[in-house]
Amino acid sequence: MAQETKVRESTGTDANGHTAVGQRVTRLDGAAKVTGKTVYADDMKMPGMLHTSVLYAPHAHARIKSLDTAKARAVPGVHAVITAADLPDYNRKDSNRTGLIFPDKEVLFFGQPVAAVLSEDPHVAAEAVELIEAEFEPLPAVLDAVAAMEKDSPLVRDPLHDVDRSEERGHVSVETKETEQEGEPSNIASSAPFERGDVAAGFAEADIVIERTWRSAMVHQSYIEPHATIADYDISGELSVWTSTQAPFYIRDELAQAFGIPENRIRITATEVGGGFGGKIYLTELMVAALAIAVKRPVKYIMSRKDDMLAATPAPFAHIELKTGMKRDGTLTALQARLIYDSGAFPGAPMLPGCMLIGGYYRCDNIDIKGYEVLTNKVSVGALRAPGAHNATFAIESHMDIMAKELGLDPLEMRLKNAVAEGDLMPNGQTYPAIGLRECLEAIADSDVWRRRREVEATPNRGIGLAVGGWLGGLQPASAIVCLNPDGTLNVTVGSADITGTNTSFQQITAEVLNVPLDMVNVETGDTKTAPYAGMSAGSKTVYTVGRAVKAAAEDLKQQMFELAMKRLEVEPEDMEVANCQVQVKGAPDRAMTFKRFGKLSTNFGAPFPVIVGRGSIAARKTAPGFTAQAADVEVDPDTGDVTLHGYAIAQDAGFAINPLSVEGQMQGGASQGIGIALWEEMRYDEDGRLLNPNLLDYRLPTSRDLPPIETIIVEVPSEEGPFGARIVGEPSIVAGPAAIGNAIDSAVGARQHEVPITPERLLRSMGKL
Amino acid sequence: MPRQLISLTINGREREVAVEPHWTLLETVREALDLTGSKEGCGTGDCGACTMSVDGRIVTSCLMLAPQVNGRQVTTIEGLQSNGSLDPVQQAFIDTGGLQCGYCIPGMIVAARNLIDDNPSPTLDQIREGLAGNLCRCTGYTKIYEAVELAAERIRGGA
Repeated sequence: MAQETKVRESTGTDANGHTAVGQRVTRLDGAAKVTGKTVYADDMKMPGMLHTSVLYAPHAHARIKSLDTAKARAVPGVHAVITAADLPDYNRKDSNRTGLIFPDKEVLFFGQPVAAVLSEDPHVAAEAVELIEAEFEPLPAVLDAVAAMEKDSPLVRDPLHDVDRSEERGHVSVETKETEQEGEPSNIASSAPFERGDVAAGFAEADIVIERTWRSAMVHQSYIEPHATIADYDISGELSVWTSTQAPFYIRDELAQAFGIPENRIRITATEVGGGFGGKIYLTELMVAALAIAVKRPVKYIMSRKDDMLAATPAPFAHIELKTGMKRDGTLTALQARLIYDSGAFPGAPMLPGCMLIGGYYRCDNIDIKGYEVLTNKVSVGALRAPGAHNATFAIESHMDIMAKELGLDPLEMRLKNAVAEGDLMPNGQTYPAIGLRECLEAIADSDVWRRRREVEATPNRGIGLAVGGWLGGLQPASAIVCLNPDGTLNVTVGSADITGTNTSFQQITAEVLNVPLDMVNVETGDTKTAPYAGMSAGSKTVYTVGRAVKAAAEDLKQQMFELAMKRLEVEPEDMEVANCQVQVKGAPDRAMTFKRFGKLSTNFGAPFPVIVGRGSIAARKTAPGFTAQAADVEVDPDTGDVTLHGYAIAQDAGFAINPLSVEGQMQGGASQGIGIALWEEMRYDEDGRLLNPNLLDYRLPTSRDLPPIETIIVEVPSEEGPFGARIVGEPSIVAGPAAIGNAIDSAVGARQHEVPITPERLLRSMGKL
Repeated sequence: MPRQLISLTINGREREVAVEPHWTLLETVREALDLTGSKEGCGTGDCGACTMSVDGRIVTSCLMLAPQVNGRQVTTIEGLQSNGSLDPVQQAFIDTGGLQCGYCIPGMIVAARNLIDDNPSPTLDQIREGLAGNLCRCTGYTKIYEAVELAAERIRGGA
């Protein structure tokens, strides 16, 4: 296969003199993963461990009349059956999904956990859970988020109070005036306005005004490893949890509050995460910890695929009304939008980032954007890679194409004319730092997919579509430690879960600062008792923030060695450098002390130096938004409505690609998820709010048969704060897919798609064939 | 429930295992034989994370019952290494960056090795068809295609 990726060669030094960062480096954990040696939570066993089977609510909204567990308890091998009444004391927060283990009065969505059976044999637990006799009185189920906003709509639940939004803030930092539910009880959990200029005047000066409604389905993160957690509580009062999570410190803090246990007596170990995509922050840990506290034995809970699809935290359905005005010359004059995100039965829908992005790609003097987070009796939603972004981007990027077509403008040139750059305003009035949206558009113009546009579009039922996407990114302080070993090698310890290969990037950063070969550096993620603090691996911020801390720690270690070497080398630190695993005098490399010598002199019996430990600790204040431009080459079968993807290209600004191999992987993986959302993925509910497709046959993920190799172009517009100019990488790639595919289909068959996924049925309908 | 004794050859070693007749092959290998490389991603044969080779043909081991493999040859991800070195397919996945979270990878590599054994020079389309039963959510498959092409090339070259 032709090497599709256009990045610098990976041998030797790059133009900036880097030797370790910027290189294509294979993962530190590669060998463990390809041999099956990597240990995931489901692979672990504890002495005396019990397995969990959970009873899930069979109604979308119902009052719990009775729960009789006698028959389940009587099954031989059942250790315990736990309902709300049997739980240990905890600080219950009914307004948050993760603050409520089991309800005692009312179930709010189909699949809500109601009780658990514990047994040494998972089969026994599964059989016994069927014997719990639960009686429910069904209540009106509110399932449509738009109708739920009406004044006369039945209420999803009692009014909310004291909503904890800390988890959402881990994904994105948005400064705004969000209003929580207030006044008359309603299903609107929160709302936020973003206004600038005068939209009426903006529409008046427009040559065309387009007004459409866009819908995007509820979709599931569909990590291949379902949620998996083990907890143990020992007699001394220490709580240990091994769990597949992106956010070990966040879970520690939440469990400490929930149970009143000091944070130094809780050990959260983030086990290897078999895919998270924002869905594995904090979900099952409170329940499993409570069960372990209740029975004083280790408890393991592995969600089946069905459990996970029923009761994890998928990504929301959104209904977006958008009106845009444009002058004949392609100037965007006004943008008015109403974004409704279906949050399910608890708050947490990513409405704010949707608002920020719908008005955040293009300069526009007049905007009026209102976002609503609406409750329904469906499973509550969580984050999925750039949460809320694809929904909003599908709307604005489809609009841009419609306007370009109506005005006879080139869709790429028209986007370039309006695209935001450094200093332009975001919808909340803040200004953009250095960003690479325009550069991504220029790069995609040069992609193979876009360059074959004329030729492809001459073919019947083939078309090429373009869309941009972006993500603003999260911020959180971070820290790291680098230790010098007696043999001169280095150990880096961080607290961030490594899912995407971030530890390999930290290896590169450390090797770069200390000018040593990569194999001199090893990196470990510690648990919350042993590792220095790091934020959740979410919001695309791990390399951006923890990477800075690692760089600072390596620089600190270098400075310590310089100062210790002053007497022996008889020069000041500013006259020293690191090279060839030694500290040497600039211009006189034979006057040197090796790292190994520092190691011995700082650890041996009677050694004169203190142990050399570099410490890095940073505050992160400036976001480094990441943008992408993507192009899709599709063919539509006009008889069946099937869409074949012939090619797909992604250009994305990585700031500086510390490891191009993993940056490409993030771009390709995110792009494939965006394609899945565009064409296949949808959680379908019946009229009673029951999920119809809780499995991976009926919930269709992209397969290798669907996806051609993705053409991958890394763009580098350095960020101000990131290590070596790196910016956020993980999330932008998912954002553009639905719009790019929709635009390509319109180009192929002249049928505009207003709803994703674009199923054959919807496509044929739009073509007037159904 | 009474257990039944089955014998199978697992990764070249003959073993006898006492199983309950409803145990799946996956469960038997993971729990009774303590080989946890193979993963359960769905339990319904849709994701391929549990892929093993039985008598040279790939199966989703979550759908096969343990008694069905009585007297048969089973190969899991743990059986691919030989003499302490990685199989060329394993090495190629590392070299091309064809893995991220790793959960699908044991099944994916068993399927890829089987594909190359059947067809030493697979085209891109044949690779895409051959791996269609193994879902990967992280990579978008691009680097997996590169890994299989690289592995096939190395195996043809005698690696």
